[in-house]
Amino acid sequence: MVESLQYLAEGFAVAMTAQNLLYCLIGAIVGTLVGVLPGLGPIAGIALLIPATFGLNATSALIMLAGIYYGAMYGGSTTSILINVPGETASVITCIDGYQMAQQGRAGPALAIAAIGSFIAGTVAIFGLVLIAPPLARAALAFGPPEFAALMVFAFVVLSNVTGKSLVEALMMAITGLILGTIGMDPVTGNERFTFSSPYLLGGIEFVAVAIGVFGLGEILVNAAKPPAQLEQRVLVPHLRDLYPTLQDLKRSIGAILRGTGIGFFAGLIPGPAPVIATYASYAMEKRLSRHPEEFGKGAIEGVAGPESANNAATQSAFIPLFVIGIPFGPVPAILLGALLIHGVTPGPLLISDSPQLFWAVVASMYIGNFILLLLNLPFVPLFANILRVPKKVLLPLIMLFCVTGMFSVNNSLLDIWMMLGFGVLGYVLRGWAYEGAPLLLGLVLGPKLEVAFRQSVMISHGDFGIFIERPVSLTLLLLTLGFLVFPLLKRAWELLRPTAGDGATPGSPQ
Amino acid sequence: MGAAISMFVFGAITAVLSLQLPLGALRMPGSGFFPFTLGLALMALAAGHGIQLHLARPKATARQDSASPAAPEGKGATRRVALFVAGVIAAVALLQPLGYTLSSFLLMLALLQILGIRRWYSSLAIALGSAVVCHIVFVRLLQIPLPSGWVF
Repeated sequence: MVESLQYLAEGFAVAMTAQNLLYCLIGAIVGTLVGVLPGLGPIAGIALLIPATFGLNATSALIMLAGIYYGAMYGGSTTSILINVPGETASVITCIDGYQMAQQGRAGPALAIAAIGSFIAGTVAIFGLVLIAPPLARAALAFGPPEFAALMVFAFVVLSNVTGKSLVEALMMAITGLILGTIGMDPVTGNERFTFSSPYLLGGIEFVAVAIGVFGLGEILVNAAKPPAQLEQRVLVPHLRDLYPTLQDLKRSIGAILRGTGIGFFAGLIPGPAPVIATYASYAMEKRLSRHPEEFGKGAIEGVAGPESANNAATQSAFIPLFVIGIPFGPVPAILLGALLIHGVTPGPLLISDSPQLFWAVVASMYIGNFILLLLNLPFVPLFANILRVPKKVLLPLIMLFCVTGMFSVNNSLLDIWMMLGFGVLGYVLRGWAYEGAPLLLGLVLGPKLEVAFRQSVMISHGDFGIFIERPVSLTLLLLTLGFLVFPLLKRAWELLRPTAGDGATPGSPQ
Repeated sequence: MGAAISMFVFGAITAVLSLQLPLGALRMPGSGFFPFTLGLALMALAAGHGIQLHLARPKATARQDSASPAAPEGKGATRRVALFVAGVIAAVALLQPLGYTLSSFLLMLALLQILGIRRWYSSLAIALGSAVVCHIVFVRLLQIPLPSGWVF
């Protein structure tokens, strides 16, 4: 712990250099823009900006990309509150009470409490990170291929269980991603697979093309499908003087902020779209604990403070599994893993001991980034809100142009643009089916790792699958996986047996 | 239902193509083993999902009638998306011969028209402005080696 704090201090020294502060600031600003703009969430936003980091060293690159990630989380809440359109899925919940507050002329306090809550959550989460990451890395050193294989299977099933409406649909998406991940060179023998003799496919499917296509272009096309009259929304731009919350607002929010932080931090440590789950859980909890639950849905400030804090804490703690085990548990960390690999950094149990400078500098930069965002968001929110006044029929073509340009700059390849377009259409079709893209992206990124871990495991054991259940860690993970697969079936059977049971237990969803 | 069928077909194609690769044995799985298993798993899930949807059909349609206001616009939506995608495809196809700056201008112009900017001179001004700014930022400042074509 003391040693960690010492490293953290050194991390701050690295992160505080003028150059890294600048990248942190750029990341935070660009991230906020990405969060505010329609059609660009954190996933497509980070993917688009990976090429911009090519000239930087790995630490600065990651500082900037992480800045984009939590900047987008802030920006996403801004649109939720001001125009009732969540910038990304983690701010869906904020729409409920945030937009109500805005309609009552309290957009300022809603935005401010979101920023303050996020800042407090970020501060607490950083200490959690310092406490948990190093011992977890030491424990993960004992992981062999069977443990990694079991952990990835566990991650897929849990992610599939908590995204979207149907486990089967999400699992189909995960498997589709895994299949796409097998295209290219076989990671074990070097054989060509599914390349149809094309040298372009030999290196595998470019994950940036999938990320921008499915998440960016898919969203643009959903907007383009709307009739012109439905495309624009009314924007409530708050005045600076109305921005600050009252003492009573703060008093009502502080409990929600702290509880949200706790929920968010632990949600980030388990597989799944942590920020999304954390916001739902926090909202449900605040509503249950509140002395005036009837205000929820009508502009209760706790309904903004709790989820926004949870969202931010989860965003930060989701870095722990990525850095410490080397396995991203959600789509955004998966993109960051891709970016790290491009920069020649392989995250895993050895990262903290091998490149402590990178790890601790990034952790420190998260804290600085949160501070920058607090400063950036409180006075400048009206400025960002004005971007929302630009009509979407102008924004969408511009974002499309950025996507094309950004995609080209990854490998200077026209084929990548075609690939991105193809996945964009796929993303649109998937949205029509109400399928989730997150398991697909995670499958694509983790596919090769899972295959190598699996094949190494059975090679070690000479074809004996017992290796997966003889080792306590992988056995535990597989049992948990089984539980997650069987539980929905049991629940279903229970509901069928008791058809009268109501389904009113789900927390409120916007409209 | 279309979704389940598409998924099933994709799984089947994967499984069949994997059979052309060396499958190996359990003690030494070959290149085809992992994708073959995935293909089979996808087929099984899709089939199960299809059956599940088929059994739940009468209830599902009843629910859809009451809660999907977007459905009647389905046709117009497909047309708009198809136009939008066609515009992008045309611009990307022209990227190599015409160069980045000119084709980005055309892309903007086409998409602005498709999304329903009424006055042609506003479209023209916005498209021209974005093409020039993008040229300055991406080609001059960031020096991305974008196709230069005949013009710029």
